[in-house]
Formats: sequence, C-alpha cells, structure tokens
Amino acid sequence: MTLEAWILFALVLFCIGLYGVLARRNLIAILIGIELMLNAVSVNILAFNHFLAPDPAVGQIIVLFIIGLAAAEAAIVLSIVLTVYRQRAAIDVQDLKELKG
Amino acid sequence: MIAAGLVMLISVAGAVVAVSVKNIVHAIFGLGIALGGLALAFLLLSTPFVAAMQVLIYIGGITIAMIFAVMLSSTGKHEPGEGARRRVLAGIVSIVFFIAMAWVVVGSDFGPLMELAPEDMESAWSVQAIGRALLNDFNVAFELLSVVLLVAIVGAISIASRHDEGEDPAINEEGGA
Repeated sequence: MTLEAWILFALVLFCIGLYGVLARRNLIAILIGIELMLNAVSVNILAFNHFLAPDPAVGQIIVLFIIGLAAAEAAIVLSIVLTVYRQRAAIDVQDLKELKG
Repeated sequence: MIAAGLVMLISVAGAVVAVSVKNIVHAIFGLGIALGGLALAFLLLSTPFVAAMQVLIYIGGITIAMIFAVMLSSTGKHEPGEGARRRVLAGIVSIVFFIAMAWVVVGSDFGPLMELAPEDMESAWSVQAIGRALLNDFNVAFELLSVVLLVAIVGAISIASRHDEGEDPAINEEGGA
C-alpha cells in the first residue's frame, strides 16, 4: 500500500466521522463520530511516520498521547451525558439551548 | 496488499455502521468493529505497541464506557430521529470536504518515500525505544498528560455525581433553571 492509499483511507474515515458529528442528534452518537475522527488522525500520523520519517518511536508516542486525551475526553463527555439525561430524561442536542443568545 | 485492503474495508464498513444505524447500541458495536480494523491497520503500519494500546484503551475501555452510558441514560422509547434535511446537509459538507482534501492529497508530491528498514522494524516491535523517548524527550508532555487524565477523572466524577447533593439550594436552583 502506498502512502496516498493510507492517507485517503484516513480521509474517508474522517469524513464518515464528520458526517456522524453533523447529522446525529444523540449525544453518544456525536461522541462516536468524534472518536472516528480522532482515529483517522492517528492513522494519518502513523502512515506519515511509516513512510516519510521512519523513526519507530516518535509517531507512536504522538498517537499514544492522542489515545490518552481521547480517553480523558470520553470520560468527561459520558459524565456530561449522564448529567443531561438526569435533568431532562433525553440526550437530544436540540434540547440543550440554555446558553442560546 | 490484500491484507491492507481487507483491513480498510473492515474499518470503513464498521465506521459506516457506526454513524448510520438508528439503534445506538448497534452503532457502538459498529464503532468497535471499526476500532478493531484500525488496530490491524496500526499493525500493518509497523506500530504493534500502538495497536495493543488501541485494543486495550479504545475497544476495552471507551466502547465499554459508552455502553454503560447508554444503559444508564437511554430511554429506549424516545429516540430522536434526524430530519432528512439535516442528514443531506451533513452529507454535502462531508463530501465537499472529502473532495477538497482528496484533491490536495492526490496532487501533492510527498518526496522520497522510505519504508522502515528491517533493523528499524526490529526496534519498532520492542517498546524500548518508546519508553526511552517517553522518559527523555517527551517527559514533560508525558507528565502533563498524566495530570490531564487525573483532572478528567476528578471532573467526570464531580459532574456525574451532582445529584447526590440535591439538598443544596444553589444546586437545586441550577438544576431547575
């Protein structure tokens, strides 16, 4: 597989995740889209690391940081989901407009 | 070549399931399939340690946490349906973004490609290089990430357990607003 093929693969995944974030109204479905986008970025970084800068360590460490931050972000988002559900018994983003100007 | 194509197919199929099905639990299973395919992709990109972390943290941690959140929050009856207009607009935005970025990728010259040499491949399979780099060059970022994770855990617990202090009038006012 060439570098272009891997980058296009990552791009397809990123666009699927972008569609998920934009089209869904369920908070957990939006989180799924965000995770797909983060993984697409990881694939992109590892493809560049494999083909253009063959240092075994650096690209892997950046992707490990992405995975760690994604775990932190998922924990926060899921606790927000639970709080929102407790307050209004639904997790539809259309209902969340307290801060709307 | 065939292995890479198969892995890409599995990942994209899982991702499509994850964003398109109505049932949120099925969507999480689709996400799990996509993440498993991506772990195989990381193996093909000669980063086995990251593939192992992907399986442990994403498939074993984040998807399970999502399923717990669904169990604790899903009403089952009131599933918000997306309007067709919203889906079409999102599809248009994604496709335009895809075409623009694909045009850039196909049109760019990445210079001389070097694959990992066999002796580098040997060290990529060991975690020694990663550990050494984490504790030397990337030590500050590593420690900062541990602080971020600690803050995220404390924040998640404090956000999710607000209801235990329902007697507090300030909290009640906030909840009723």
